[in-house]
Amino acid sequence: MVVKYFRKAYTRFATYIYDIPPRMLAFLLIIIFALLPVAQLDVYTLTLLASANVMAIFAASWDLLVGRTGQISLGHSVFYGAGAYGAAALFQSFGWPFWMTIPVSILISAGIALLIGFPCLRVKGPYLALVTMSIPLVIAYFLSYFSEISGGQHGLPLEGLLPELFPGLAFADKLKANYYLTLSLMAISAIILYKIANSKTGVTFVSILDDELASKACGINVTKYKLMAFVISGAFASLAGCITAYIYRSATPPFFDLSISIPPLVVTILGGIGTIYGPLFGTYIYFFLDGYVLKKIIPVASWQYFGLKWEYAKLLIFVVIVVIFIIKWPRGIAKGTVEKLEDLEEAREIEEIEKKGDKTE
Amino acid sequence: MHLLEVGNLTKRFGGITAVNNISFHVDEGEILGVIGPNGAGKTTLFNLITGYLKADSGKIRFNSEDVTGLPPHKIANKGLARTFQVVRPFRHLPTIANIIVALNSPRGKKKIEWVKTPERKAMEMLEDVGLTEMMLEPAENLSHGDLKRLEMARAMALEPDLILLDEPFGGLSLVETDYMVKSIQRMHLDGHTIVIVEHKLQALMRLVKRVIVMHMGEKIAEGTPEEIAKNDKVIEVYLGKTI
Repeated sequence: MVVKYFRKAYTRFATYIYDIPPRMLAFLLIIIFALLPVAQLDVYTLTLLASANVMAIFAASWDLLVGRTGQISLGHSVFYGAGAYGAAALFQSFGWPFWMTIPVSILISAGIALLIGFPCLRVKGPYLALVTMSIPLVIAYFLSYFSEISGGQHGLPLEGLLPELFPGLAFADKLKANYYLTLSLMAISAIILYKIANSKTGVTFVSILDDELASKACGINVTKYKLMAFVISGAFASLAGCITAYIYRSATPPFFDLSISIPPLVVTILGGIGTIYGPLFGTYIYFFLDGYVLKKIIPVASWQYFGLKWEYAKLLIFVVIVVIFIIKWPRGIAKGTVEKLEDLEEAREIEEIEKKGDKTE
Repeated sequence: MHLLEVGNLTKRFGGITAVNNISFHVDEGEILGVIGPNGAGKTTLFNLITGYLKADSGKIRFNSEDVTGLPPHKIANKGLARTFQVVRPFRHLPTIANIIVALNSPRGKKKIEWVKTPERKAMEMLEDVGLTEMMLEPAENLSHGDLKRLEMARAMALEPDLILLDEPFGGLSLVETDYMVKSIQRMHLDGHTIVIVEHKLQALMRLVKRVIVMHMGEKIAEGTPEEIAKNDKVIEVYLGKTI
């Protein structure tokens, strides 16, 4: 009974949103997000939202590679970490200004993506997932081995960006500045990724996901397009890493951790794979669940997990959620809703045509 | 000068010789039929010519160019398109986007007249095979017959010099087969060169002027349909020995 009522209310609510043109909707959402800090949010919420924005870039980049091109990567933290370390090294050791470190470290990560992608993309499916998963582990080992250069467990410190941008800024304003920076970058990246995914190149990506042999028969250089997806995805992932390093003021080995590579998968499945807007939607749900529900409402985060770190125990919980989603709602929340509404609209149109037909008769 | 020349092509899978020392040629503007019982090596022959398999020995020349050992996408871009025995559409993409993929390849891009957009050209290709109504429908919603036609339109989008059709009538109803025969005839009249592998001999014999018969990886006969129908060896292969 309650479920039925809830479903009805949700469908009605979603229909209202669905009727807004997509561009208008994107614009409205950005405005709403931009106005959020005005509402005097506390420090915790603002920080959470800023990390959610960064994660949204990361997850959307993952979705372009996995959801659109079908190349499963479980080691996306490579690019995240490479972006962070690149920015830290350029900023701290070479003394570059921050606005140069970001594009250059993105370029470096794109180069790394090319290097990794060339041998890795020769294997497919689960094998590719395993190979990509192993790479960050190797890098983490190297970081601790060459601890004189990499700073070992402490990583590379990174002071700057905001102090440099706005000297003498109060703490609360710094948080807001962080938030706006991440929000604007998120909006730009999301638009670019969405445009790529829906361009002719994006269509070719999907053709590789659907049938590699048939793409080859169409004269498509499959390796080239796979590499292209890998590089684009890696570049945006490293942008997310860069920004995180600037916000946390250091680049440390946990940037390469598995607990960075798994959340994109979780949020993409929550929101709907292969859509770009799906992971964006999923990210905010994820952060709401993670930051509010599991920390404040049901304080699962403060429980003991047989000595397990919360980051890993959290993964366990979310993996259970993902499994439920894959079985029950494989299309995710956002994508599932959109497709459902498309079906409803089609049914409505057919009904109208039939009604008209009756009248003319 | 022949359009396609295959010389002494051999392919072994372990102990089995799937294609054994086959030579043939295709002239510009003709329709060639390749027939043979199941497991004769017809599809393997197609896979060798289009680069999906590497031949153990032998030469393939296309447009007086050596294409032996080239990867499939390069061969497709040289103007040698193919369809598959089991349909292989891009299921998640709308029907029209299936064709846009082919138009997005180097050869596809080059062959679009400058006044046309790829979308316009894709629509025309769909119109040719009668799929205009299904334009925006995802390919997974199409019926088998529609998919066969879509696959042919996708291969034609490359404007190939030679098109290899792997069982174009496989799984089609009588009406659909008839439609397919007519569209292949139309393609032939437009000056396209076609090679067809087929089991449905009745439909095939209406189309072709020259037939190659394969058995156990070897070419056992070549000639006009009438000659083939009388050939003792061919009858033996299809129906068994007379006692």
